[in-house]
Amino acid sequence: MGVHRRFVGSSILLSLVLFLPFLPTIPAWAAGDAAITIKVATLVPAGSEWHRILQEMGSEWQTASKGRLAFRLYPGGVAGDDADLVRKMRLGTLDAGLLTLTGISAIDRGMLALEVPLAYANDRELDCTLKQMSPQLEKEIEAKGFVLLGWTEGGWARFFTKTPVRTPEDMKKMKLFVWAGDDQYTELWKKAGFNPVPLPSTEIATALQTGLITAVSVNPQGALLLQWYKHVPYMTDLKWAMFLGGFVIAKSTWEKIPADLRPMVRESALKACQRLRDFSRQSESKDIEALKKNGVQVIPVDGPVLDQWRNLIQGVIPQVRGGYLPTDLLDKALKIRDECRGQEGRSGK
Amino acid sequence: MTPPSSVRSASEWFLVTLFLLLTVIPLVDFLGRPLAGFHIPGSATYTQQLTFFLAFVGGLVATLAGRHLTLSSAGLIPGGGVRRFSDFFTACAAGSVTAVLTWASVGVVLAEKMQGQKLSFGLPIWVTESVMPLCLGLMTVVFILRSSPTLFGRICALALICAVFSLGLVTPGSAIAWFLAVVLLTATLLGSPVFAAMAGLGLILFWRESTPISAVAAEIYRLVGSPTLPAIPLLTAMGFILAETGAPRRLVHFFRALLGFMPGGVAVLVGAVCALFTALTGGSGVTIIALGGLVFPILLEDGYPEHFSLGLVTAAGSLGLLFPPCLAVILYSVVANVPTDQLFLGGLAPGLLLLVLVSLHGIRVSLKLKTPRQRFDPREVLSATWEAKWELSIPVAMALLFGTGLASLLETSAFACAYTILIACFIHRDLHPVRDLPGTLVKASALVGAVLILLSCAMGLTSYLVDAQIPDSLLQFARDHIHSPLIFLLVLNIVLLVLGSILEIFSAIIVLTPLVVPIGLAFGIHPVHLGVIFLANLELGFLFPPVGLNLLLSSSRFGKPMTELYLDVIPFLLILGSGVLLITYVPALSLGLLCWLGRI
Repeated sequence: MGVHRRFVGSSILLSLVLFLPFLPTIPAWAAGDAAITIKVATLVPAGSEWHRILQEMGSEWQTASKGRLAFRLYPGGVAGDDADLVRKMRLGTLDAGLLTLTGISAIDRGMLALEVPLAYANDRELDCTLKQMSPQLEKEIEAKGFVLLGWTEGGWARFFTKTPVRTPEDMKKMKLFVWAGDDQYTELWKKAGFNPVPLPSTEIATALQTGLITAVSVNPQGALLLQWYKHVPYMTDLKWAMFLGGFVIAKSTWEKIPADLRPMVRESALKACQRLRDFSRQSESKDIEALKKNGVQVIPVDGPVLDQWRNLIQGVIPQVRGGYLPTDLLDKALKIRDECRGQEGRSGK
Repeated sequence: MTPPSSVRSASEWFLVTLFLLLTVIPLVDFLGRPLAGFHIPGSATYTQQLTFFLAFVGGLVATLAGRHLTLSSAGLIPGGGVRRFSDFFTACAAGSVTAVLTWASVGVVLAEKMQGQKLSFGLPIWVTESVMPLCLGLMTVVFILRSSPTLFGRICALALICAVFSLGLVTPGSAIAWFLAVVLLTATLLGSPVFAAMAGLGLILFWRESTPISAVAAEIYRLVGSPTLPAIPLLTAMGFILAETGAPRRLVHFFRALLGFMPGGVAVLVGAVCALFTALTGGSGVTIIALGGLVFPILLEDGYPEHFSLGLVTAAGSLGLLFPPCLAVILYSVVANVPTDQLFLGGLAPGLLLLVLVSLHGIRVSLKLKTPRQRFDPREVLSATWEAKWELSIPVAMALLFGTGLASLLETSAFACAYTILIACFIHRDLHPVRDLPGTLVKASALVGAVLILLSCAMGLTSYLVDAQIPDSLLQFARDHIHSPLIFLLVLNIVLLVLGSILEIFSAIIVLTPLVVPIGLAFGIHPVHLGVIFLANLELGFLFPPVGLNLLLSSSRFGKPMTELYLDVIPFLLILGSGVLLITYVPALSLGLLCWLGRI
């Protein structure tokens, strides 16, 4: 079709149109003297509380460094999803990111040891384990060229389903959303006898509507904000896994930051992470209340049924040990978890 | 210069295999789901990588065949020495861009190697990703070989490209950046591919800010890796196959039998058949080419004046842009992150409105002229429906599969592609599965390659806009200077109309969406409504002088001067323009159906 050569019209005029107005504005940034610009990207939605906290952290960097550091934030995934962000940090086109654990696992797969489903019964067990694991994890990340400045969390992921799900057997009747792209994870679900349906995240809302998927695992806040609960009005009250995340900066950038400023940056990032964590812990019970008010039924899981779920995971762990998850980190995390659980048991008595 | 035929046929067979795999893999998932979850492990990653291969191998084929999208201005250059020089110059410019991109993409491959992700059968992704530098490097070679027929000329081209390449060692300065940008724009006006302009501009801008230029290559990879994108090659192939079969003829026959009885029936028919065909083929301009020659004589035969007929065919060429399963809508939903089905539902009433407005105008003209009317013959309708039943069943089947949750968007597209092949090769036997089909798929893949490369390079430019926070500055500007959403919408209409006329629709969506969406949201416009406004405006932009795409296509298809067409489309511009204004200021048109269905 000879036509295709022609049908673009004068595309290039666009470049002119786009190009002319903003070119003069560029020197304004370039002329930020010797300021080091730190470009931070994240999936956190623009305008959210999370976004606000990050912005405040950025202005703190700018003022505390007296303008030697400049801060640019790209929220809402405009710079790509987590895997893209890690790739861009490696290429040096981005400097830092607030990533999900899935994103951090693109730096080092061992991080996934923290997200073994049902491994942690509550916040306290997870906190205790994370605290002891963190030095080693930070070292692993640093060896891969990144510096981890702090951990965040986005609430416990629970199952939201179209019909009530209490036991693993109930779940086997569901069509469960999994991320397109995480093939190994999908395989795990299949091996355990479930029906995962890999889809791009943009299709979740539609797929819930049409019934292509009938179950999704998400934190209560997500279910509420994205209004998925309308299609999947049953929440299985099972703390499946914590949505962990972390603030990560490329090591090359970290070393560009003048040494006298690094403690300030680290402390400020740590504080922001703590605020984010507090925020999500406070909002969790409120979100669940709001869900209930909107007609979501909470399906309790305890006693023998909880054991069924745990046994299921226990059965899968040997299959992923050494393959999906590196052996040493997984074993260490679970051992620390057991110690933490023991301490808690003792202090409970 | 032509490459050895063995290289060409090898790459062509490779492409056909890629296409068939891309069709089969989602289908296996779709058919296997009810059958006890039979599946191909990691199929989603495979389809993404296949699309990635199609983009680059297809892009290479497009380079070999000289099928990249270029500007029409190139045709104005006289032959002889001037022509030879401009060929040399454009080849050097395009070659320089692909050379630098090759280097940039090596960086991306190395980063991926560190990421260490593997396909489900253990093949590291960085290995498959290497197709990007490989094909870009080969494209550079092709551009060098094409620059000149003499060895001396080619050596000069190589030297020039090396010179551009070595700029990477220089500290970037505004003057050089400006100079390069001007050179690049000139080369594009003289006929260098548009993708080179998009990517080149991105490279220059990033380089100017001392950001590693791998940013552009990373963005190219990111777009092609998007999970919904494989739908684009599949639906493009479907449109291509349909256009090569007797489908246009059968559809015209069907609509004629159905609508011929009413006043202006033929005019309505043209609108309806063009809308259906555009929806199926994705609004890439195939409609005027495939249907124009068929319906234009029918209009004249029925006594419609030539001016009206030309205007109608030109205007109808993009009418179906809002109807499912049109690619433009899917692409917008990918870029703007709006659910595809909501956008299709939202676009239904506005799309119909535009169609009805054009039809009413046709009826009015026909009543004035007292054109002949056909008797309504139910038997004729039945037989024509029966004849066109397979083509008509494609959109119905797609809607059913997707709407009932049996299949995802990608699976639905794969099904549509396979179904169309089945119809073309085995039911109507318009295409021979061995003799004709591979050729058609190769032709389609050159277009797919050209489009995907252009898309991803436009994405490279967009990523600069995002990196430089241009959308934020624009938003700030809009907030400071525009205080009412109504004014914002009017400005949006004008800007989109003008840009829509000079831009190819896919790159328009990729480059403009990230700029428009945040402002629209800030003014409280519903994302679906905004998407419909956006697409309806681009649809109108196709008709907008001086260089709207449909004007160009019509002018070349019917051999009429552009200036004559300008006059012919004025009534349609006014009619569709008022339709677009209605769509813009009456949100209920876009959102009413969704509200009624309880979807928003």
